[in-house]
Amino acid sequence: MFKTLRSKILAIIILMLAFLMFASVFHVYFARMNTKQLMVQNYKFSITASSFVQEIKNRIITSEDCLKSLSLIGSLYYKTDRSNDLTDRVIEKVFKNYPQALGGGIWFKPYIIDKSRKYNCFYAFRDKNNKIVIDRNFESEKYDYPNQEWYKQIISQVTPEGNIVWSKPYYENMGSYTMMVTVGTGIYVDGKLVGIVTVDWELDSIINEVSKMKPVEKTFSMYKSGKEIKNSFALFGNVKDDFIIATTDPYLDNKTITGHSLKEIPWYTSADKLYATTYITYHKKKYIPFVNKLDNGMVLIICLPKSEMFKDVNNFYFLLILTMLGIALLIPALLYYSLNRYIINPIDKLTKIAHKIGKGEDIQIKIEKPEEFAHLASTFDKMTKDIKLITNERAKITSELSVAKSIQSSSLPNVFPPFPNKNEFDIYASMEPAKEVGGDFYDFFFIDKTKFMFLIADVSGKGIPAALFMMTVKTLINNIAQLNYSPKQLIEIINNKICQTNKQGFFVTVLLGITDINTGETSIINCGHNLPLIKRKDGNFEYLQLESNIALGVFEDSKFEVYETVMNVGDIIFTYTDGVTEAINKNDEVYGETRLYDCLNSIDTPEPIEIVQRVKTSINEYSDSNLQSDDITMLVFKYNGRNNTKIFKETAKQENYKQFYNWLHTACDEWCINEELSNKLDMSAEEIFANIAFYAYREKAGMLEATLTKSDENIIFKFIDEGIEYNPLEKPDPNIDLPPEERPLGGLGVYMVKNMADELFYKRENGKNILTLVFKL
Amino acid sequence: MDVKLKRTGLDGLYVAAVGRLDLDNAVEYGSKIKNFIEDCEDPIIEVTLDFSEITFISSFGLKVILELYKQLQVQSGVIKIKSISEQLKNSFKMVGFDKFLVFE
Repeated sequence: MFKTLRSKILAIIILMLAFLMFASVFHVYFARMNTKQLMVQNYKFSITASSFVQEIKNRIITSEDCLKSLSLIGSLYYKTDRSNDLTDRVIEKVFKNYPQALGGGIWFKPYIIDKSRKYNCFYAFRDKNNKIVIDRNFESEKYDYPNQEWYKQIISQVTPEGNIVWSKPYYENMGSYTMMVTVGTGIYVDGKLVGIVTVDWELDSIINEVSKMKPVEKTFSMYKSGKEIKNSFALFGNVKDDFIIATTDPYLDNKTITGHSLKEIPWYTSADKLYATTYITYHKKKYIPFVNKLDNGMVLIICLPKSEMFKDVNNFYFLLILTMLGIALLIPALLYYSLNRYIINPIDKLTKIAHKIGKGEDIQIKIEKPEEFAHLASTFDKMTKDIKLITNERAKITSELSVAKSIQSSSLPNVFPPFPNKNEFDIYASMEPAKEVGGDFYDFFFIDKTKFMFLIADVSGKGIPAALFMMTVKTLINNIAQLNYSPKQLIEIINNKICQTNKQGFFVTVLLGITDINTGETSIINCGHNLPLIKRKDGNFEYLQLESNIALGVFEDSKFEVYETVMNVGDIIFTYTDGVTEAINKNDEVYGETRLYDCLNSIDTPEPIEIVQRVKTSINEYSDSNLQSDDITMLVFKYNGRNNTKIFKETAKQENYKQFYNWLHTACDEWCINEELSNKLDMSAEEIFANIAFYAYREKAGMLEATLTKSDENIIFKFIDEGIEYNPLEKPDPNIDLPPEERPLGGLGVYMVKNMADELFYKRENGKNILTLVFKL
Repeated sequence: MDVKLKRTGLDGLYVAAVGRLDLDNAVEYGSKIKNFIEDCEDPIIEVTLDFSEITFISSFGLKVILELYKQLQVQSGVIKIKSISEQLKNSFKMVGFDKFLVFE
């Protein structure tokens, strides 16, 4: 379980979703609970508030009833017996029925009951023991109730319909000094106002009630039960007459403000206009006013501090935000951790190992979890092993390639000078393969004693196949060339043979030259190859405008044009493959024939090796560091003219005699001296060699220098030694006519030399014997 | 030098050699023949020298043949030169050896 990356990622996502879901559920649950609570509390509060309002209404109704009862008593008193005692008792009875009333009375207009009595009133009040006491002291000149403020106020406002008039609150200064308010109504008899009735209320109790007007306990509370909302306050006022009946506003002196205009409450105007849910700002605090307008012109406003009221809601939201924040932090952290652990770390590990493997270290990768990476690691491991195998294989191929390269390069003549004792020509060639093995080649060899063949060729294609084909072609040309055909026949046969052996469609461009080293006569055949340059003595290198033939190996029985020329002493032929002219620089521009032409003509030495090196340097400078794209091959042939002098220099002793006559034979062969003359030369050479070895250097062996010079007319054979003075010519000739029995054994050799040579000279010079023999051709 | 010696008839000797009769080989050639003759119980009178494989003869070679002739003269013997090229025959003629040698 959870072994794969897929399952891990899935698990993480599910975990995160679960968190989110938990948070959402949490949120929804509490939000719902709170909303319910809020609704319930609001409802409860409305009920409380309205029950309070009802209570007040009840009181008003009660006081109205009370007033009506008193009013009835008053009218009855006026109309009927006018018995004071009875009235007192009735009043006492009424007050017993209306316990809220602190006191109350019936006040007749002056002189209306009795023309002689100005004051006629009944007043009862509750004493401290809640006993109803009838107080007659108000019927006095001293109090003069018709002139009391409340009396005037009420009597001026009463109407026959029986309206209730509220006085402004006042301090009762008779006994208890409590805040009072008086309600009153008129006594009408047959539509005539005869007096008023009043009921006194102590305001303190109302204020108490109002201040108790707080939202019920547990309001909006989630966790903490029974916590009250602090700092709430209330206002009870008379809108109709615009005065404050009671307030618990903490910022006002409630005792002095009572009875003042409602407008003196700073927040009243705005609160009056607002609905319960909108708030007012008062002393930098926000309050929500609950406004209840009563039908008799009273208003009850309860202000609840917003922060207190929504404290728990706020707490809840704060908690919610914290939770969300926590989740917001937790999720990336979890993601980061998981990414690191399950993806980044394995990748890092793989990367490090890949680095190490790249450096050639042999490391086993060990990742077990997650499965995807374990799989990747094992694949990686396998890949490493495969790479190792492939690398080994490649190393093997590379080593085989280098062997192939050395086989190829050793198959080309690469020892220079190739014929140290041939002075008739100089030759130098070089091949730089572009890849391990190349398709270019050059070759040169004698096809007979005097005919020297050199060639340069470019096989189509590159690499191993081209190299194999090249080897075939090279061997083929070499073999056929030895068969002594004419150049024209030779190239035709070579072409046909190549066509026959070539099934892969290879072809080869060849530039081939055959020079007679004695005469300089040269045949050049160009089979689709780059034009060579020729430098005539004291001239410039110039492109040799040859007839181009088809490349070898294309068509069987092709015919070839042969260019015939004579090379003079000092003439140079420069041949090359297209690797030279098509070497490119970093701008992809080729080296070109013009650049080659200029380069060759700037070279001031006629030495083939120098010419090749200079061109190579020029190409390298031109192509900069560009990779060599094709084989670069050059062959330079310089004709020095026929060499007419051969020198032998060696110690004159019998052991060297064989070497001496071999030298002589080589020279004779090279110069094509006929058998008779070469026999004469042979015999003379032996005789003189023996004479020098045995007579001139009788005691101590010394140096012999023999020079053979051929001219058109004769051959001059010169012997120089540093032995004792000895002139063989002075030796007397033997008598060849004597009978054999009498003939001496010695003296034959010198006699023969004298006989064979056309001329003989001897001289002694600087302690040297110099003997010269001349043989006419 | 490889020298082949073979008795022919009652008193004959056939000599065949390959190469040059020169400074290097002539003495060896001569002494091999001489020793052979001396070692023979019967006298050798006729010596045939096969020159078909001899490419060159110098004065040293001629001297050896003269020596051999002198040795044979005791029994009045003869030397026959067989299959010699014109080239080499000229050498013999030059020193007058053609006068006592028989060319076949």
